[in-house]
This record gives sequence, structure tokens and C-alpha cells, in this order.
Amino acid sequence: MSRTATYHTTVRWKGEHWGHLVMGNGPEMDFSAPPDAHGHADVFTPEDAFVAAANTCVMMMFIWATERFKLKLLSYECRTEGTKLIELDRTEIFTRLHFRPVIRVAADGDSPSVVEARVRRALQSAQKYSLVANSVKSEIVVDPEIVIEP
Amino acid sequence: MPEYLETTVDKFIFRVATDRVYSPEGVWALAEGSRVRVGITDFLQQRNGDVAFVHMKPIGTKLAVGDEFAELETIKATVSFFAPVRGTVVEVNTDLELSPEVVNQEPYGKGWLAVMEATDLEADRAKLLDPQAYLSAMRSQAEEELKKQ
Repeated sequence: MSRTATYHTTVRWKGEHWGHLVMGNGPEMDFSAPPDAHGHADVFTPEDAFVAAANTCVMMMFIWATERFKLKLLSYECRTEGTKLIELDRTEIFTRLHFRPVIRVAADGDSPSVVEARVRRALQSAQKYSLVANSVKSEIVVDPEIVIEP
Repeated sequence: MPEYLETTVDKFIFRVATDRVYSPEGVWALAEGSRVRVGITDFLQQRNGDVAFVHMKPIGTKLAVGDEFAELETIKATVSFFAPVRGTVVEVNTDLELSPEVVNQEPYGKGWLAVMEATDLEADRAKLLDPQAYLSAMRSQAEEELKKQ
């Protein structure tokens, strides 16, 4: 098993505060900065990309974890918020990523407390093994709402 | 509380308890009279990832050296472990059914897997590795893994 893998994206300037992004996995789209950073509304931004990278990666890892932990997942939705800090020297950093997943699983014959404990372990594993979450230096906070359906 | 040998490979610290012996594959065996408590090493638990389920051969199962006695399903893999001595399973760690993560948290303590009544403990134990020998073998294995690119 190879211990490294590479992923790539390509960006091209389109003029003014616009760019075009081609992702290694196929999709491409225009992007800008957020309106409060001299960009445009309603388009993809680096800030969204950063938060989305963590959010999507943790979700995909959680889906994998539910399979390994034999959980019957009914639904998963997660709003994740990234907090940007503007430092004294005007550099900026995402200090915190706050995940609020709402997770519904079927008890499937097990007691709700046992299932909830497995969901929490699966979430911890998802965070631990998420490539992106594991790569960022922001604090990561996960506040799940777990619903066990009988 | 056992004492530990410790080695660092890359950014990982692996501990080896000094009060027991080891199979080359990383199953430890701790003599308790004619019985042997068995479990997996710190290296194996770190290498295989967060444990989701532990399956063990039932009490009464007779095992030869090298027979599978436990299977761990982790977040990354399903891994079998093999008996380090001959004997009969007389106890399994039922706490792991609800708390399999203890294998990761305390591999040399509460994360033990089974107790065997050994058939010929002295003869089998002589073929296992002492802590220093296991530490060296494990370190070589870890370094070999690091070289794979």
C-alpha cells in the first residue's frame, strides 16, 4: 500500500476579482472572494471551500464509520461554521470549525443508549480519520444532535 | 501496573510492557499460574485503528499455537489474532462487547482479550519473545512500513 497520494486543482484568473477553478475529480466553476473581501456574492469562495472541505470530508468519513460500526443511518445533515480571526498584523486564520451534525439512526433492536454510544464513537473516529480535519490547525468542535429511531 | 519499554518511530510512541512475553505478530501473553491472559500490543492497536467490534472464540475452545482466537473489526480493517500458546479458552473479556475502545485505550490492561488454560506453558513460553526482543522486532516492522512509498 502506497503511503502517499496526491490531489490537484488548477485555478486561472479571469480578470477583475474572478477566477475559474478546475478540480482534479472533474467539476469546474468560477470563484471569487466573499463580498466583504472585495469579491462577489453567489459564487464559490476560498472560505466556503475550506469549510466545505472539512464538512464534506468528515461526512464521508462518518458514512464509512457507520458502516464499520454497523449503524443503520437514516439521515445526516451538518451545518459547519468556520470562525475567522483577523490578527493584529492583519493576517487571517480560521481558528475554529464548529460542526453541528443532526444524525438519525435506527435502533435496529439494540438499546438506544448502546446505539448512541456507537454513534458518538463513530463521530470521534470520523474526526480522527478525516484527512481534511486531520490536516487543519483550527480547533474542531463537534456538537451532534443524535436521534435514535425505534 | 506494568513497567514499559518505549520506542519512537516517526511521530509515534509505542510501548511494550515488561512483565509478559510476545508472539512475533504482537499478541502478548501474561502468565497467571497455569493460565495465560492474552491481548494485543500497543503497536498493533495503533496500527489497526479504532476498534469497533471484538469477536472472540467462545469459552471451551481448544487452541493450538497459531490458531485464530480473536478477530477485531476496526475503523480501517478486520484483523485476526492468533494464539501464542496451546490451551483452552476459559474466559473472554465481555466488557469489550459494549466498550471495544478499551482495546485502544488500555491494550496491556483492561483491554485484554481472553484467558487460556495453557497445555504446556513452559514449552510454549520459551518460543515467545521477551519484551526487548519484541520491541526490536516491532521497531523493524514499523520502520519497514515507513519505507513503503
